[in-house]
Amino acid sequence: MIDVEQVSKSFDGTRALDGFTLHVGPKELFGLVGPNGAGKTTLMRVLSTLLPPDSGTAQIYGIDVTSQPRRVKRLVGYMPDQPGVYQDMSVREFLEFFADAFGITGTRHRPAVDRALQRSGLEKRSRHPVEQLSFGMKQRLVLAKTLLHDPKVLLLDEPATGLDPIARIELRAQLKQLQGEGITILISSHILSDLEDICTQIALIDAGRNASDAEGHSIIQLRAPQTPVRIYEIELLGDGAPAANVVTSIPNTRLLESGPGRLAVEITGDEEQAAALLRALVVAGVNVIRFDHRAVGLEERYRLAFREKRP
Amino acid sequence: MNPMIRKELRQRMRERRGWLLPSLYLLVLGSVVTFAYFATTSERGGSDIQGSTVGVVLFLTLAYAQLALLLLLAPIFSAGSITIEKEQRTLAGLLTSLLTSAQIWWGKFVSSLLFVLLLLVTSLPVLSMAFAFGGVGPWEIFSATVTTVIILASISAIGLYCSSAFRRSVHATAVSYATVIAISVVTAILFFVRMMMYESAHQQTTYRTWYDLPLNIRAPMYVNPFFFLTASFAPPKQLYPAWITCACVFIALGALAVALTLRNLHRSSDL
Repeated sequence: MIDVEQVSKSFDGTRALDGFTLHVGPKELFGLVGPNGAGKTTLMRVLSTLLPPDSGTAQIYGIDVTSQPRRVKRLVGYMPDQPGVYQDMSVREFLEFFADAFGITGTRHRPAVDRALQRSGLEKRSRHPVEQLSFGMKQRLVLAKTLLHDPKVLLLDEPATGLDPIARIELRAQLKQLQGEGITILISSHILSDLEDICTQIALIDAGRNASDAEGHSIIQLRAPQTPVRIYEIELLGDGAPAANVVTSIPNTRLLESGPGRLAVEITGDEEQAAALLRALVVAGVNVIRFDHRAVGLEERYRLAFREKRP
Repeated sequence: MNPMIRKELRQRMRERRGWLLPSLYLLVLGSVVTFAYFATTSERGGSDIQGSTVGVVLFLTLAYAQLALLLLLAPIFSAGSITIEKEQRTLAGLLTSLLTSAQIWWGKFVSSLLFVLLLLVTSLPVLSMAFAFGGVGPWEIFSATVTTVIILASISAIGLYCSSAFRRSVHATAVSYATVIAISVVTAILFFVRMMMYESAHQQTTYRTWYDLPLNIRAPMYVNPFFFLTASFAPPKQLYPAWITCACVFIALGALAVALTLRNLHRSSDL
């Protein structure tokens, strides 16, 4: 679990984080999006104990990252943006070194390294120098290194940057699998389609503060149970006035937009409620040619949230 | 064993300079000693000269040449040690592991110093030549070696501090060399200039020993590695105050560098 409460952090007078608050539940795959310089990397560094916050509190599983960094390090796996590797080591030597660095010794050492090799899919290249690996393989190696000490929380800062489409698909699959294993994951990325595919919730951040989308939500629910309020677009033949009258007569239904041959309706309730509206329209003799749920994608919500803030 | 030490040593010995630098070092040292030998023996026709005189000349030549060479080489190993982690973006991985800043520093320090000590050890056969001629006892060799190790440890600690303070190896190495030049050359120039001024101002005053000079004139030399080495040639009972003072100054400089390096590693915002 990740709890960030009113965290601020400044660098030479510039506020990178300005009272940011975030709560990530256990086993969630939580996204963090915002424009460049929004404070995503600073937040990741605070949570990974690399940077102490100026004010506010940040806790991982109830442990404060500032006062007990060593306990937090045992719980957290952090993969920075542009993670580095030791080019002159072999793949196995790289993992062995970090296993030692995480205090994995004795009988646990070899199995941990073998598991990491298996996770990265680099078993056959374990003796190869790291410099001979492709960029995608190096990313997999670093992710495997990050998982060596079986962290409960994974902090991933732009992990998909620079990966080709196949590598991105593999990364998404791996993250879903890790979530299934019970790991809480906080991931920042500019590749919104990736986040939309895997995340349960997305937090918006801008200028170090919690940002909101056009509907005023600072947290976007992606895998929540059916949202009670849904918007439907209705296209019809002829005048829209009779259809509008039907809409206003149905309970839990609100007319949002009305134009020639087109309506936008907000329905509060499950799909039965939508079916009842469609039935009423047909019974009233309205020629409905399209009755569709308007899905507002993450990209659209991101665009609406940040489009006016670009310099 | 500290995993950092194992990693650093493994990486260093794989580098080309792992064998190239000791080879060049021995070549230069051998040439200097050979030159010193022929210069000494040909000066008096070779027959009149005593073996002990040759031994002393060879030993002193070797001790000073060795120190000069190692002062030039030490920053190469230490100044790039932490900056390379920043340049290849691996420092965050180290700092978020369970390694403490002190363990990271110790691993870097030991591996830097061990490589310089390896060079010191490889010169032992050349040193044994001086020993064979006589005139030099085990005490002189021991005290000169201990002094050289203290100097190199301090320089390595200063190099590591530079490495923690800068982002690029080239900047850290340049500042490390500037420090070496400052303590080796600038202090000597400062001393000689002030001594000349003192002599011209006090023409009636006669001074017979080093300690007759005022402390403010002598002070810069206590930071000078070559003066420190010279002080080590004194008999054991005369090590105080010159050698002891130098040792304290170098150890204090090294300790200050360690403290500042650890502080910089804690402040890891410039990863």
